[in-house]
Amino acid sequence: MPTVKKIAFNIFAWGIVLAVAFPLFWMLVTSVKPGFELFRRPPTMLPETWTFEHYWHLIQRTNFLTYFRNSVILSTATTLVVVAIGTLGAYSLVRFKFRGRESLAFLVLFTYLLPSVVLIIPLYLLLVNIGLSNTIFSLVIAYTTFALPYALWLLRSFMAGIPEDLESAALVDGASRLGAFWDVILPQLLPGIISTALFTFILSWNEYLYALVLVNSDSARPLTTGVMNMLVSSFNIEWSLLMAASVMMSVPLIIAFAFLQSYLTRGFGAGGVKG
Amino acid sequence: MAAVVFSKVRKEFGSFTAVQGLDLSIDEGEFVSLLGPSGCGKTTTLRMLAGLEFPTSGEISIGDRVVNDVAPGQRDIAMVFQSYALYPHMSVAQNIAYPLKKRGVASAERTAQVNATAELLQLTELLGRKPRQLSGGQQQRVALGRALVRDPKVFLLDEPLSNLDAKLRGYMRVELVELHRRLGRTMVYVTHDQLEAMTMSDRIAVMEGGELQQFAAPTEVYAAPANRFVASFIGTPGMTLMDGELSKAGASWTFKADGISLPVGPLGDNAAAGPACLGVRPEHVLIGEGPIKGIIQVVEKTGHENIVVLELSGGHRLTGRVPAPQSWNPGETVSLSFDADNAHVFGPGAKGPRLNRPTETNVTDMPSPVLQKALP
Repeated sequence: MPTVKKIAFNIFAWGIVLAVAFPLFWMLVTSVKPGFELFRRPPTMLPETWTFEHYWHLIQRTNFLTYFRNSVILSTATTLVVVAIGTLGAYSLVRFKFRGRESLAFLVLFTYLLPSVVLIIPLYLLLVNIGLSNTIFSLVIAYTTFALPYALWLLRSFMAGIPEDLESAALVDGASRLGAFWDVILPQLLPGIISTALFTFILSWNEYLYALVLVNSDSARPLTTGVMNMLVSSFNIEWSLLMAASVMMSVPLIIAFAFLQSYLTRGFGAGGVKG
Repeated sequence: MAAVVFSKVRKEFGSFTAVQGLDLSIDEGEFVSLLGPSGCGKTTTLRMLAGLEFPTSGEISIGDRVVNDVAPGQRDIAMVFQSYALYPHMSVAQNIAYPLKKRGVASAERTAQVNATAELLQLTELLGRKPRQLSGGQQQRVALGRALVRDPKVFLLDEPLSNLDAKLRGYMRVELVELHRRLGRTMVYVTHDQLEAMTMSDRIAVMEGGELQQFAAPTEVYAAPANRFVASFIGTPGMTLMDGELSKAGASWTFKADGISLPVGPLGDNAAAGPACLGVRPEHVLIGEGPIKGIIQVVEKTGHENIVVLELSGGHRLTGRVPAPQSWNPGETVSLSFDADNAHVFGPGAKGPRLNRPTETNVTDMPSPVLQKALP
């Protein structure tokens, strides 16, 4: 009986894995099929002719690389800003005692009480007024506003787990407060920083709505809106190119995930227990 | 010259006063313990000395320098924390070298000093390991090494032995005393364990409720406690304390409680007839003969001696200590008396002051402290 149960469970689990993995597989397969093979019936599971022409097309004849560069700059900058502010903010929320500390920490979460659709127009007007609309920087600001609260709470729970004695010891040993932070706190916080960075990077890499509203020039467009704008129109969808673009968009995230996934799960664990 | 001076030091956290008006002067090369129950302000006092807390008012000096506004790293102190506070991402060698590195000691010199310290503490084999790969006792030695390597003016130790098992603690006590003798440096040691304080210190500062209760040599703290709190806190098993009345007839004083009438030795000028408290150490309860009757409640056998808990007719409980061969069964009625020369008299209240005349105390009459060196 236990064996039957085990087999049934395995079939169930693999069923879920397949359901999740099949679209990814189909994306990959479609991107290397020639155009005429796409809509053949019955469909071919593996391409009869392998081709990388869609990739070459994207790279050589479209703005794909500009969008890619924009996304890299945008996501990296957002990640750096969020991690820098989040780390220092979490440090002050944990180590310093000041009036309104807890209220401040909760107030930060208020951003999540409002749907982002509500915030988007005010934010757009604000950015237009200060002359930042249509720039990559405007998206960095926008993404920071909604990535930072979560990052702050995640880092705060990590920071709270670092014994205060460690910092005191460094101070007595001759370090300045900043020196103690750098030498002792930061290395301890590394798992927290990595999972926060990964979270922020993924969020900025995949974001669509704000990018659509805040940026409408090709020079500043990130991948999400750029690719949609370029390949999806009311009359036609360039399926092969779209799939090739999707594969190239996914690669950086897959690589990052593969290396850092253990940190990520640990990070979500910490957030779950204390946050 | 005094190595450390607290002068009217006060520390408040919001509306809570952790230390109130502390005056304490520690001599050069002295081993001083700050002893008291948890929440008595001893750790706050040590942290103020380290520069990790700032006094609300008053002055703290190390050597001839007032250090109120001096950063912890500039105070020429080293500290061992209760949790050891070893840097988890650094090896043992890096941990010990860290204070030197922060002071700009050159790399070659640093290595030489780390090696010398490691040899002193038998850590040479462990230099390449990370703290999590060490046992509690080894971590403790690394923490000590990190403090020793700098040769500071004052060592601060915050309950460094409390995380060790009993056997290792006994061993480390002796190690620390030997280390202190060898280095001749001033050491300030925080503990709630009176055995540690009694066995290691030159002088003990007993604290309670943020106030210094007594600052004296261990023998004196034991034999002539300054007030009722110190009397009840020091000594295992504790001193029996009995509330009663003090009366005077001519030049002699008598203490009365529950049908007991005991002449007590000449008292100081601060004594007055009225409510008072009698304190008797277990070894000064003489069981077997005497005018007082008591019923044996419990006999605790520790091997070399027996601890006897008795109840008097008035309901007072008292504890006696007798050599091992003497024993009684619970329920037995025995005669007993007190060694009046060694009875302590205190004023009323939880911190009632000592009323005995200072010279009347026999300071030598104290059980020798347990100092055994056994390898862990």
